[in-house]
Amino acid sequence: MSQFKVLVGKELRESWRSFKLLWLPLVFILLGVSDPILNYYMMDILKAVGGIPEGFQMVMPEFSAADIIAASTGQFQSIGLIVLIATFVGTISRERQNGTATLLYVRPISHSALFLSKWFVATLVAMISVIAGYAASLYYTVILYGPVEWNRFIAMLATYLLWICLVMALTVAMSASFKTVVAATLTIFLVIGGTIFESLVGSFISVSPWKLPSSSLALLSDFYDGTDFIINLCLSFGLLIIFILIGIMMCKSNASTTKI
Amino acid sequence: MTLITVSDLTKTFGNQTVVDNISFSIEPNTSTALIGPNGAGKTTTLSMLTGLLSQTSGSIKMEGVKDMRSVIGFLPQYPKFFSWLSALEYTEMVAKLSGIEVKQAKLQSQKILEYVGLGAALHKKTGTFSGGMKQRLGIAQALVHKPKLLLLDEPVSALDPVGRREIMNLLKEIQNETTILYSTHILNDAEEMTDQLLFLRGGKLVEKGSLKEVRARFEEPRFKIKFSSSQQALQFASQSELHCHVEGEKVFVEIVHEQPTMQQMLNRLANSQFSIESIEKVTASLEEIFMKVVGSYESV
Repeated sequence: MSQFKVLVGKELRESWRSFKLLWLPLVFILLGVSDPILNYYMMDILKAVGGIPEGFQMVMPEFSAADIIAASTGQFQSIGLIVLIATFVGTISRERQNGTATLLYVRPISHSALFLSKWFVATLVAMISVIAGYAASLYYTVILYGPVEWNRFIAMLATYLLWICLVMALTVAMSASFKTVVAATLTIFLVIGGTIFESLVGSFISVSPWKLPSSSLALLSDFYDGTDFIINLCLSFGLLIIFILIGIMMCKSNASTTKI
Repeated sequence: MTLITVSDLTKTFGNQTVVDNISFSIEPNTSTALIGPNGAGKTTTLSMLTGLLSQTSGSIKMEGVKDMRSVIGFLPQYPKFFSWLSALEYTEMVAKLSGIEVKQAKLQSQKILEYVGLGAALHKKTGTFSGGMKQRLGIAQALVHKPKLLLLDEPVSALDPVGRREIMNLLKEIQNETTILYSTHILNDAEEMTDQLLFLRGGKLVEKGSLKEVRARFEEPRFKIKFSSSQQALQFASQSELHCHVEGEKVFVEIVHEQPTMQQMLNRLANSQFSIESIEKVTASLEEIFMKVVGSYESV
């Protein structure tokens, strides 16, 4: 436990001093702000850049607040996740490759403390970023489109944060298992590829971990079908534990790959 | 009493044997040099002792110690630190990881950093350190938890002559308080502080013993006589029945079973008409011994 604390302290210092704690939330705030503002001012923007051709009839869709939150989630799901994965996928493997891990591994260090500290801080930073992003999105959505029900929003956010937890566990576990490049490729393939797969054929499958973001959004809408939701939640928790266990195992078995 | 016993240690990568059946033991408060050319298996041996690598076969035992990592301090050849931590933060962190409690960790870190000469750089980021400072920090982090055995991988090879001298002096000081095992390919270093020499070649332990023992085995005592001209040298060599070897104006006379003695040589030369510039008894330098023991690498 004390090792975990020491290592978390180290990771937090790293996040702070490398400005990760600053620029990652900023990225998410930008992503979160873009959808409500762009959609609201779309007509004005089109006019400003040359206008709509005469005789061209275009009906701008009427967005509800939930639609805008969904659009922001879409941003987080693509660009946001790639940025998060790219930032944290080297968290273990890079330390091994550049040799800084060597002087930690020669200590009587617990590999579970090592992995958990990495995962904890990665998840913490990711969660702060996502919450900042949603807060920014919510702020403009409420101003421009009307109120969002609080309890629904909190339920959605909690579900989405579980998804972030899961993605970060996968990312850090991959980092413990492979070299940075391989880990990055595999993680992005699994997360982004899985998300695309889900959006294409997801309607035929009722239970999958990639359903978490979409079911979190469903929590916002009025007609919400919760039958598979609990199963998906359980599946995600199960996977989370599996990823963490694999990560700890790989941390231990790959310790000797550190550059001496 | 033996501090650590290594027996039949072997490491293979694929079908390549990097460390081949090494056995040795180290007494407390001594320093041992692991000597060998590049690729002899020095770093691999040290890595196994630190627990970074697991051995293919053989054993490493330390009396009464469960997790050897808690009583070992290790300095790799090129120590890498987290560049965004200061020297004090780094040392404190690794001390805590070695199980030292918070207050003590801070005290010990400050003390050890001042001891290695980084007192003025306590709060500087390690990313800004020079090679010599990094090596000092490396030694500090290896010593901060007061280890029983200090493992150093080529501690001075990467340093300039000044840095080298400073680190050597530091190590000599440390030598009085702890047990040191270090690898090197620089023999002068080994000559300066060593109780035991281990010569590695191609992963095999080819020679071991104290500096004196190894010396005695390989020194090949000779007389070096310098004549005034090379003709005289040749003439002397052809006339004498001794085992001679001529190099320009110099003649080397082998001493076999302590014969001839200096007295005999002097008598012999005094009664001759050769003009002599100097005569001295020479023994092989450690470098020559090194070449003899590990030099013929290809023939392995």
